[in-house]
Amino acid sequence: MIQDPFALGEDTPPERRRWVSVVVPKPSRGRRLALLVGLAALVATVWIAAAGTGYAYSPAPARAKVPTIDVPQDAAGAKRLHTKLQTQNKALAAALKKMAPSGTYVVVDQTQNRLYVMKDDDIARTAVCSAGSGMVLKDSGGSRKWVFDTPRGVFKVRNKIANPIWKKPDWAFVEEGKPVPKNPADRFESGTLGKYALYLEDGYMIHGTLYTRLLGRSVTHGCIRLGPDDLQAVWDAAPIGTPVFIF
Amino acid sequence: MIATLGALALFAATATAPAAPEDLARLTAANDLLAKQVALAKGKEFYLLLDPSERTLHLMLKGALLQRYTVTGLEVGVPRVLYRTRADAADWEGRVWDGGRLDPARPLDRVEVQAPPPTAEGTELEVKVPPTPEEKYPVPSRYHIRFTGGLSIEIRPPADAETSKGFWSKISEGFASWWADARAASRSAPTDTVRLHVVLSRKDAESLYRALPPNTKLLVVPPRS
Repeated sequence: MIQDPFALGEDTPPERRRWVSVVVPKPSRGRRLALLVGLAALVATVWIAAAGTGYAYSPAPARAKVPTIDVPQDAAGAKRLHTKLQTQNKALAAALKKMAPSGTYVVVDQTQNRLYVMKDDDIARTAVCSAGSGMVLKDSGGSRKWVFDTPRGVFKVRNKIANPIWKKPDWAFVEEGKPVPKNPADRFESGTLGKYALYLEDGYMIHGTLYTRLLGRSVTHGCIRLGPDDLQAVWDAAPIGTPVFIF
Repeated sequence: MIATLGALALFAATATAPAAPEDLARLTAANDLLAKQVALAKGKEFYLLLDPSERTLHLMLKGALLQRYTVTGLEVGVPRVLYRTRADAADWEGRVWDGGRLDPARPLDRVEVQAPPPTAEGTELEVKVPPTPEEKYPVPSRYHIRFTGGLSIEIRPPADAETSKGFWSKISEGFASWWADARAASRSAPTDTVRLHVVLSRKDAESLYRALPPNTKLLVVPPRS
Protein backbone atom coordinates (compact mmCIF):
# COMPACT_ATOMS: atom_id res chain seq x y z
CA MET A 1 0.00 0.00 0.00
CA ILE A 2 1.36 3.41 -0.96
CA GLN A 3 0.89 6.14 1.55
CA ASP A 4 0.20 9.71 0.58
CA PRO A 5 3.34 11.54 1.76
CA PHE A 6 1.38 14.75 2.35
CA ALA A 7 -1.42 13.16 4.35
CA LEU A 8 -1.40 14.20 7.98
CA GLY A 9 -2.83 12.02 10.67
CA GLU A 10 -2.83 11.87 14.39
CA ASP A 11 0.17 9.57 14.27
CA THR A 12 2.22 11.96 12.07
CA PRO A 13 5.51 12.58 13.80
CA PRO A 14 6.15 16.19 14.91
CA GLU A 15 9.22 16.63 12.62
CA ARG A 16 7.04 15.96 9.59
CA ARG A 17 4.44 18.41 10.77
CA ARG A 18 7.18 21.02 10.92
CA TRP A 19 8.24 20.17 7.38
CA VAL A 20 4.68 20.78 6.09
CA SER A 21 4.45 24.09 7.85
CA VAL A 22 7.68 25.18 6.12
CA VAL A 23 6.44 24.19 2.63
CA VAL A 24 3.17 26.15 2.93
CA PRO A 25 4.14 29.38 4.58
CA LYS A 26 1.48 31.88 5.44
CA PRO A 27 1.83 34.71 2.85
CA SER A 28 2.77 38.07 4.16
CA ARG A 29 0.35 40.95 3.98
CA GLY A 30 2.29 42.54 1.12
CA ARG A 31 2.22 39.33 -0.86
CA ARG A 32 -1.51 38.95 -0.32
CA LEU A 33 -2.05 42.47 -1.58
CA ALA A 34 0.13 41.83 -4.63
CA LEU A 35 -1.79 38.63 -5.34
CA LEU A 36 -5.07 40.50 -5.10
CA VAL A 37 -3.88 43.27 -7.41
CA GLY A 38 -2.56 40.69 -9.90
CA LEU A 39 -5.89 38.87 -9.88
CA ALA A 40 -7.81 42.11 -10.38
CA ALA A 41 -5.51 43.04 -13.26
CA LEU A 42 -6.09 39.63 -14.85
CA VAL A 43 -9.87 39.95 -14.53
CA ALA A 44 -9.75 43.49 -15.96
CA THR A 45 -7.59 42.34 -18.90
CA VAL A 46 -9.95 39.46 -19.69
CA TRP A 47 -12.92 41.81 -19.35
CA ILE A 48 -11.43 44.41 -21.70
CA ALA A 49 -10.43 41.74 -24.23
CA ALA A 50 -13.91 40.20 -24.02
CA ALA A 51 -15.57 43.59 -24.58
CA GLY A 52 -13.59 43.99 -27.79
CA THR A 53 -14.53 40.57 -29.13
CA GLY A 54 -17.86 39.77 -30.74
CA TYR A 55 -19.82 42.13 -32.98
CA ALA A 56 -19.34 45.90 -33.06
CA TYR A 57 -22.57 47.69 -33.87
CA SER A 58 -23.07 51.12 -35.35
CA PRO A 59 -26.19 52.92 -36.63
CA ALA A 60 -27.26 52.07 -40.17
CA PRO A 61 -25.96 54.64 -42.67
CA ALA A 62 -28.41 57.48 -43.24
CA ARG A 63 -27.05 58.45 -46.65
CA ALA A 64 -26.87 56.26 -49.71
CA LYS A 65 -23.58 55.64 -51.44
CA VAL A 66 -23.70 57.25 -54.85
CA PRO A 67 -22.29 54.84 -57.41
CA THR A 68 -19.71 56.01 -59.88
CA ILE A 69 -20.77 55.79 -63.52
CA ASP A 70 -19.29 56.84 -66.81
CA VAL A 71 -21.01 60.10 -67.71
CA PRO A 72 -20.60 61.47 -71.23
CA GLN A 73 -18.59 64.66 -71.20
CA ASP A 74 -20.75 66.51 -73.71
CA ALA A 75 -24.11 67.98 -72.60
CA ALA A 76 -26.05 66.27 -75.41
CA GLY A 77 -24.69 62.84 -74.45
CA ALA A 78 -25.51 63.41 -70.79
CA LYS A 79 -29.05 64.45 -71.71
CA ARG A 80 -29.50 61.35 -73.87
CA LEU A 81 -28.35 59.15 -71.02
CA HIS A 82 -30.69 60.96 -68.62
CA THR A 83 -33.65 60.43 -70.93
CA LYS A 84 -32.74 56.75 -71.36
CA LEU A 85 -32.48 56.23 -67.60
CA GLN A 86 -35.79 57.98 -67.00
CA THR A 87 -37.52 55.80 -69.58
CA GLN A 88 -36.02 52.72 -67.95
CA ASN A 89 -37.16 53.92 -64.53
CA LYS A 90 -40.74 54.40 -65.68
CA ALA A 91 -40.80 51.00 -67.39
CA LEU A 92 -39.43 49.20 -64.34
CA ALA A 93 -41.81 50.99 -61.95
CA ALA A 94 -44.74 50.09 -64.22
CA ALA A 95 -43.59 46.45 -64.45
CA LEU A 96 -43.35 46.18 -60.67
CA LYS A 97 -46.76 47.76 -60.16
CA LYS A 98 -48.28 45.40 -62.71
CA MET A 99 -46.90 42.34 -60.91
CA ALA A 100 -48.30 43.31 -57.52
CA PRO A 101 -51.94 42.31 -57.04
CA SER A 102 -54.37 45.20 -57.28
CA GLY A 103 -57.64 45.30 -55.39
CA THR A 104 -58.58 42.34 -53.21
CA TYR A 105 -56.34 39.40 -52.49
CA VAL A 106 -56.23 36.78 -49.75
CA VAL A 107 -53.20 36.00 -47.58
CA VAL A 108 -52.98 32.88 -45.40
CA ASP A 109 -50.39 32.55 -42.63
CA GLN A 110 -50.49 28.77 -42.27
CA THR A 111 -48.25 28.44 -39.22
CA GLN A 112 -50.18 30.99 -37.17
CA ASN A 113 -53.55 30.01 -38.64
CA ARG A 114 -54.60 33.48 -39.75
CA LEU A 115 -56.29 34.52 -42.96
CA TYR A 116 -56.21 38.13 -44.15
CA VAL A 117 -58.42 39.70 -46.76
CA MET A 118 -56.22 42.43 -48.22
CA LYS A 119 -57.32 45.45 -50.17
CA ASP A 120 -54.55 47.42 -51.86
CA ASP A 121 -51.88 46.42 -49.30
CA ASP A 122 -54.17 47.11 -46.32
CA ILE A 123 -55.78 44.45 -44.15
CA ALA A 124 -59.55 44.58 -44.68
CA ARG A 125 -60.33 41.58 -42.46
CA THR A 126 -58.42 39.22 -40.19
CA ALA A 127 -59.83 35.74 -39.60
CA VAL A 128 -58.77 32.84 -37.41
CA CYS A 129 -58.47 29.78 -39.63
CA SER A 130 -57.08 26.26 -39.50
CA ALA A 131 -54.42 25.00 -41.89
CA GLY A 132 -52.72 21.66 -42.53
CA SER A 133 -51.70 19.58 -39.52
CA GLY A 134 -48.48 18.29 -41.07
CA MET A 135 -49.54 14.79 -39.96
CA VAL A 136 -48.39 11.74 -41.90
CA LEU A 137 -51.01 9.03 -42.39
CA LYS A 138 -50.02 5.52 -43.47
CA ASP A 139 -52.56 2.95 -44.50
CA SER A 140 -52.82 -0.30 -42.56
CA GLY A 141 -50.66 -2.13 -45.10
CA GLY A 142 -48.03 0.62 -45.02
CA SER A 143 -48.02 0.88 -48.82
CA ARG A 144 -49.63 4.31 -49.11
CA LYS A 145 -48.77 7.51 -47.31
CA TRP A 146 -50.33 10.98 -47.15
CA VAL A 147 -48.78 14.17 -45.75
CA PHE A 148 -51.34 16.74 -44.63
CA ASP A 149 -49.53 19.99 -45.43
CA THR A 150 -50.99 23.20 -46.75
CA PRO A 151 -48.89 24.15 -49.77
CA ARG A 152 -47.04 27.47 -49.82
CA GLY A 153 -47.19 29.76 -52.82
CA VAL A 154 -49.61 31.76 -54.90
CA PHE A 155 -52.94 30.32 -56.03
CA LYS A 156 -56.15 31.65 -57.50
CA VAL A 157 -59.78 31.12 -56.61
CA ARG A 158 -60.73 28.79 -59.46
CA ASN A 159 -64.32 28.14 -58.50
CA LYS A 160 -66.87 29.03 -55.83
CA ILE A 161 -69.57 26.62 -54.72
CA ALA A 162 -72.40 27.31 -52.28
CA ASN A 163 -73.58 24.33 -50.17
CA PRO A 164 -70.68 22.23 -51.42
CA ILE A 165 -70.75 18.45 -51.44
CA TRP A 166 -67.45 16.86 -50.54
CA LYS A 167 -66.09 14.09 -52.70
CA LYS A 168 -64.12 12.22 -50.09
CA PRO A 169 -60.65 11.20 -51.20
CA ASP A 170 -59.10 7.81 -50.32
CA TRP A 171 -57.35 9.11 -47.19
CA ALA A 172 -60.68 10.12 -45.64
CA PHE A 173 -61.78 6.44 -45.68
CA VAL A 174 -58.37 5.13 -44.61
CA GLU A 175 -58.35 7.55 -41.69
CA GLU A 176 -61.77 6.35 -40.60
CA GLY A 177 -60.71 2.71 -40.88
CA LYS A 178 -63.23 2.08 -43.63
CA PRO A 179 -62.65 0.36 -46.96
CA VAL A 180 -62.21 2.71 -49.92
CA PRO A 181 -65.48 2.47 -51.90
CA LYS A 182 -65.42 1.21 -55.46
CA ASN A 183 -68.59 3.11 -56.36
CA PRO A 184 -67.80 6.85 -56.78
CA ALA A 185 -71.30 7.72 -55.57
CA ASP A 186 -70.35 6.43 -52.11
CA ARG A 187 -67.76 9.17 -51.77
CA PHE A 188 -70.11 12.15 -51.64
CA GLU A 189 -70.85 13.79 -48.30
CA SER A 190 -72.79 17.00 -47.71
CA GLY A 191 -72.54 19.44 -44.82
CA THR A 192 -68.91 18.72 -43.92
CA LEU A 193 -67.47 21.70 -45.83
CA GLY A 194 -69.85 24.28 -44.37
CA LYS A 195 -71.89 26.75 -46.37
CA TYR A 196 -69.32 27.66 -49.01
CA ALA A 197 -66.19 26.31 -50.68
CA LEU A 198 -63.67 28.37 -52.67
CA TYR A 199 -61.65 25.98 -54.81
CA LEU A 200 -57.97 26.77 -55.25
CA GLU A 201 -55.81 24.17 -57.03
CA ASP A 202 -54.99 20.46 -56.68
CA GLY A 203 -58.04 19.82 -54.52
CA TYR A 204 -57.20 22.48 -51.93
CA MET A 205 -60.07 24.68 -50.79
CA ILE A 206 -61.07 27.41 -48.40
CA HIS A 207 -64.22 26.08 -46.74
CA GLY A 208 -66.25 25.97 -43.53
CA THR A 209 -66.07 23.47 -40.72
CA LEU A 210 -68.13 21.55 -38.22
CA TYR A 211 -65.27 21.81 -35.71
CA THR A 212 -65.17 25.54 -34.98
CA ARG A 213 -63.59 24.91 -31.56
CA LEU A 214 -60.42 23.80 -33.36
CA LEU A 215 -60.03 27.03 -35.34
CA GLY A 216 -56.63 28.59 -34.70
CA ARG A 217 -54.95 25.18 -34.59
CA SER A 218 -53.29 23.24 -37.39
CA VAL A 219 -55.74 20.39 -37.81
CA THR A 220 -56.74 20.12 -41.45
CA HIS A 221 -55.70 17.77 -44.24
CA GLY A 222 -54.32 20.73 -46.22
CA CYS A 223 -57.41 22.87 -46.84
CA ILE A 224 -58.07 26.17 -45.08
CA ARG A 225 -61.03 26.05 -42.69
CA LEU A 226 -62.91 29.15 -41.57
CA GLY A 227 -65.70 29.91 -39.14
CA PRO A 228 -69.12 30.77 -40.66
CA ASP A 229 -68.90 34.58 -40.38
CA ASP A 230 -65.39 34.78 -41.78
CA LEU A 231 -66.28 32.32 -44.55
CA GLN A 232 -69.20 34.53 -45.52
CA ALA A 233 -66.91 37.60 -45.60
CA VAL A 234 -64.31 35.84 -47.77
CA TRP A 235 -67.05 34.51 -50.04
CA ASP A 236 -68.37 38.04 -50.51
CA ALA A 237 -64.96 39.67 -50.96
CA ALA A 238 -63.17 37.18 -53.23
CA PRO A 239 -64.55 36.64 -56.72
CA ILE A 240 -63.24 33.91 -59.00
CA GLY A 241 -59.70 34.82 -60.04
CA THR A 242 -58.76 36.39 -56.70
CA PRO A 243 -55.11 35.63 -55.87
CA VAL A 244 -54.54 33.62 -52.68
CA PHE A 245 -51.05 33.80 -51.16
CA ILE A 246 -50.19 31.08 -48.65
CA PHE A 247 -47.01 31.28 -46.58
CA MET B 1 -43.75 48.74 -51.04
CA ILE B 2 -45.94 51.28 -52.81
CA ALA B 3 -44.11 54.05 -50.93
CA THR B 4 -40.77 52.71 -52.10
CA LEU B 5 -41.98 52.45 -55.64
CA GLY B 6 -43.45 55.93 -55.48
CA ALA B 7 -40.24 57.41 -54.10
CA LEU B 8 -38.10 55.79 -56.78
CA ALA B 9 -40.41 56.87 -59.56
CA LEU B 10 -40.78 60.36 -58.06
CA PHE B 11 -37.01 60.69 -58.03
CA ALA B 12 -36.97 59.95 -61.73
CA ALA B 13 -39.69 62.51 -62.39
CA THR B 14 -38.05 65.31 -60.41
CA ALA B 15 -34.56 64.77 -61.74
CA THR B 16 -35.36 66.19 -65.15
CA ALA B 17 -33.71 69.49 -65.99
CA PRO B 18 -29.93 69.53 -65.47
CA ALA B 19 -28.39 66.10 -65.95
CA ALA B 20 -25.68 66.44 -63.31
CA PRO B 21 -23.36 63.44 -62.98
CA GLU B 22 -24.61 62.84 -59.43
CA ASP B 23 -28.25 62.82 -60.60
CA LEU B 24 -27.40 60.34 -63.32
CA ALA B 25 -25.62 58.13 -60.80
CA ARG B 26 -28.58 58.25 -58.44
CA LEU B 27 -31.00 57.45 -61.25
CA THR B 28 -28.82 54.50 -62.24
CA ALA B 29 -28.89 53.25 -58.64
CA ALA B 30 -32.68 53.69 -58.45
CA ASN B 31 -33.10 51.71 -61.68
CA ASP B 32 -30.79 49.00 -60.41
CA LEU B 33 -32.88 48.68 -57.25
CA LEU B 34 -36.12 48.60 -59.23
CA ALA B 35 -34.68 45.94 -61.53
CA LYS B 36 -33.82 43.82 -58.50
CA GLN B 37 -37.34 44.21 -57.12
CA VAL B 38 -38.80 43.20 -60.47
CA ALA B 39 -36.53 40.12 -60.54
CA LEU B 40 -37.62 39.19 -57.01
CA ALA B 41 -41.28 39.68 -57.88
CA LYS B 42 -40.86 37.43 -60.94
CA GLY B 43 -39.34 34.63 -58.87
CA LYS B 44 -41.13 31.88 -56.98
CA GLU B 45 -39.40 32.48 -53.66
CA PHE B 46 -40.65 34.50 -50.74
CA TYR B 47 -38.59 37.59 -50.01
CA LEU B 48 -38.07 40.16 -47.30
CA LEU B 49 -37.82 43.83 -48.18
CA LEU B 50 -36.07 45.79 -45.44
CA ASP B 51 -36.45 49.53 -45.84
CA PRO B 52 -34.58 51.37 -43.07
CA SER B 53 -35.83 54.77 -44.28
CA GLU B 54 -39.45 53.68 -43.96
CA ARG B 55 -38.68 51.56 -40.86
CA THR B 56 -40.45 48.58 -42.36
CA LEU B 57 -39.73 44.94 -42.99
CA HIS B 58 -42.10 43.39 -45.52
CA LEU B 59 -42.60 39.72 -46.27
CA MET B 60 -43.48 39.48 -49.95
CA LEU B 61 -44.23 37.08 -52.77
CA LYS B 62 -44.70 37.96 -56.43
CA GLY B 63 -44.80 41.65 -55.58
CA ALA B 64 -47.62 41.15 -53.07
CA LEU B 65 -47.30 42.33 -49.51
CA LEU B 66 -47.98 39.42 -47.16
CA GLN B 67 -46.87 40.76 -43.79
CA ARG B 68 -45.76 44.16 -42.59
CA TYR B 69 -43.44 44.50 -39.58
CA THR B 70 -42.44 47.82 -38.03
CA VAL B 71 -38.71 48.19 -37.42
CA THR B 72 -38.07 50.22 -34.27
CA GLY B 73 -34.29 50.05 -34.44
CA LEU B 74 -31.57 49.06 -36.89
CA GLU B 75 -27.83 48.74 -36.38
CA VAL B 76 -25.08 47.26 -38.51
CA GLY B 77 -22.62 44.91 -36.85
CA VAL B 78 -19.26 43.58 -38.01
CA PRO B 79 -17.17 40.87 -36.34
CA ARG B 80 -14.15 41.93 -34.34
CA VAL B 81 -11.57 40.21 -32.19
CA LEU B 82 -9.64 42.21 -29.57
CA TYR B 83 -11.02 45.43 -31.09
CA ARG B 84 -9.76 44.50 -34.57
CA THR B 85 -12.51 44.46 -37.19
CA ARG B 86 -12.46 41.29 -39.26
CA ALA B 87 -14.80 42.21 -42.12
CA ASP B 88 -15.90 45.30 -43.98
CA ALA B 89 -19.59 46.21 -43.77
CA ALA B 90 -19.82 47.22 -47.39
CA ASP B 91 -22.18 46.35 -50.23
CA TRP B 92 -24.88 44.79 -48.10
CA GLU B 93 -27.50 47.32 -49.18
CA GLY B 94 -29.16 47.06 -52.55
CA ARG B 95 -28.01 43.48 -52.97
CA VAL B 96 -30.20 40.38 -53.11
CA TRP B 97 -29.31 37.85 -50.42
CA ASP B 98 -30.74 34.37 -50.69
CA GLY B 99 -31.09 31.12 -48.77
CA GLY B 100 -32.50 32.81 -45.64
CA ARG B 101 -32.99 30.34 -42.79
CA LEU B 102 -33.91 30.68 -39.16
CA ASP B 103 -31.31 30.05 -36.46
CA PRO B 104 -32.36 28.39 -34.18
CA ALA B 105 -34.56 26.55 -36.67
CA ARG B 106 -38.29 26.34 -36.12
CA PRO B 107 -39.03 22.80 -34.96
CA LEU B 108 -41.02 20.62 -37.33
CA ASP B 109 -42.38 17.61 -35.54
CA ARG B 110 -44.59 15.48 -37.75
CA VAL B 111 -46.94 13.01 -36.13
CA GLU B 112 -47.03 9.71 -37.98
CA VAL B 113 -50.24 7.74 -37.70
CA GLN B 114 -50.80 4.19 -38.85
CA ALA B 115 -54.38 3.68 -39.97
CA PRO B 116 -56.29 0.72 -38.50
CA PRO B 117 -57.23 -2.17 -40.81
CA PRO B 118 -60.47 -1.30 -42.62
CA THR B 119 -63.74 -2.67 -41.27
CA ALA B 120 -67.29 -2.12 -42.50
CA GLU B 121 -68.18 -0.01 -39.43
CA GLY B 122 -64.88 1.83 -39.41
CA THR B 123 -62.61 2.79 -36.51
CA GLU B 124 -62.28 6.41 -35.52
CA LEU B 125 -58.63 7.35 -35.09
CA GLU B 126 -57.87 8.90 -31.76
CA VAL B 127 -56.24 12.20 -32.66
CA LYS B 128 -55.18 14.53 -29.88
CA VAL B 129 -56.09 18.20 -30.05
CA PRO B 130 -52.94 19.81 -31.48
CA PRO B 131 -51.22 22.68 -29.69
CA THR B 132 -51.77 26.29 -30.64
CA PRO B 133 -49.02 27.96 -32.71
CA GLU B 134 -47.84 29.73 -29.54
CA GLU B 135 -47.44 26.37 -27.78
CA LYS B 136 -46.00 24.63 -30.82
CA TYR B 137 -43.37 27.19 -31.75
CA PRO B 138 -41.78 28.85 -28.71
CA VAL B 139 -39.82 31.86 -29.89
CA PRO B 140 -36.30 32.56 -28.54
CA SER B 141 -35.78 36.10 -27.27
CA ARG B 142 -33.00 36.53 -29.83
CA TYR B 143 -32.78 34.75 -33.16
CA HIS B 144 -31.15 35.12 -36.56
CA ILE B 145 -32.17 34.85 -40.17
CA ARG B 146 -28.95 33.78 -41.88
CA PHE B 147 -28.42 34.27 -45.60
CA THR B 148 -25.93 32.63 -47.92
CA GLY B 149 -22.90 34.85 -48.31
CA GLY B 150 -22.51 35.94 -44.71
CA LEU B 151 -25.28 38.41 -43.95
CA SER B 152 -27.59 37.77 -41.06
CA ILE B 153 -30.50 39.59 -39.51
CA GLU B 154 -30.53 39.43 -35.75
CA ILE B 155 -34.01 39.94 -34.37
CA ARG B 156 -34.38 41.19 -30.82
CA PRO B 157 -37.30 42.62 -28.92
CA PRO B 158 -36.87 46.18 -27.60
CA ALA B 159 -34.85 46.52 -24.38
CA ASP B 160 -37.86 47.64 -22.33
CA ALA B 161 -39.63 44.37 -23.21
CA GLU B 162 -37.04 42.53 -21.11
CA THR B 163 -37.95 44.21 -17.82
CA SER B 164 -39.99 41.24 -16.62
CA LYS B 165 -36.83 39.10 -16.46
CA GLY B 166 -34.88 38.70 -13.25
CA PHE B 167 -31.35 39.97 -12.67
CA TRP B 168 -29.65 36.57 -12.89
CA SER B 169 -31.70 35.61 -15.92
CA LYS B 170 -30.53 38.77 -17.71
CA ILE B 171 -26.91 38.14 -16.65
CA SER B 172 -26.93 34.55 -17.89
CA GLU B 173 -28.65 35.48 -21.17
CA GLY B 174 -26.21 38.35 -21.68
CA PHE B 175 -23.26 36.04 -21.14
CA ALA B 176 -24.71 33.39 -23.45
CA SER B 177 -25.23 36.04 -26.16
CA TRP B 178 -21.70 37.37 -25.75
CA TRP B 179 -20.21 33.88 -25.83
CA ALA B 180 -22.13 32.99 -29.00
CA ASP B 181 -21.06 36.27 -30.64
CA ALA B 182 -17.44 35.90 -29.56
CA ARG B 183 -17.28 32.38 -30.96
CA ALA B 184 -18.98 33.44 -34.21
CA ALA B 185 -16.59 36.39 -34.63
CA SER B 186 -13.43 34.44 -33.74
CA ARG B 187 -13.83 31.63 -36.27
CA SER B 188 -11.33 31.48 -39.13
CA ALA B 189 -14.27 32.49 -41.37
CA PRO B 190 -16.69 34.46 -39.17
CA THR B 191 -20.24 33.06 -39.13
CA ASP B 192 -21.70 36.45 -40.14
CA THR B 193 -19.58 38.96 -42.02
CA VAL B 194 -22.33 41.56 -41.65
CA ARG B 195 -25.06 41.44 -39.08
CA LEU B 196 -28.13 43.66 -39.12
CA HIS B 197 -29.51 44.08 -35.65
CA VAL B 198 -33.23 44.67 -36.17
CA VAL B 199 -35.48 45.61 -33.27
CA LEU B 200 -39.11 44.55 -33.63
CA SER B 201 -41.92 44.60 -31.11
CA ARG B 202 -42.23 41.30 -29.27
CA LYS B 203 -45.45 40.52 -31.16
CA ASP B 204 -43.83 41.17 -34.56
CA ALA B 205 -40.65 39.27 -33.61
CA GLU B 206 -42.69 36.23 -32.59
CA SER B 207 -44.90 36.47 -35.65
CA LEU B 208 -41.89 36.64 -38.00
CA TYR B 209 -40.23 33.64 -36.34
CA ARG B 210 -43.35 31.51 -36.63
CA ALA B 211 -44.23 32.62 -40.16
CA LEU B 212 -40.95 32.89 -42.07
CA PRO B 213 -40.96 30.46 -45.01
CA PRO B 214 -37.76 28.53 -45.79
CA ASN B 215 -35.19 29.86 -48.29
CA THR B 216 -36.40 33.43 -48.11
CA LYS B 217 -34.51 36.12 -50.01
CA LEU B 218 -33.66 39.59 -48.74
CA LEU B 219 -33.23 42.99 -50.29
CA VAL B 220 -32.21 45.95 -48.15
CA VAL B 221 -33.34 49.23 -49.68
CA PRO B 222 -30.53 51.83 -49.51
CA PRO B 223 -31.40 55.24 -48.01
CA ARG B 224 -32.97 57.62 -50.50
CA SER B 225 -30.77 60.69 -50.16
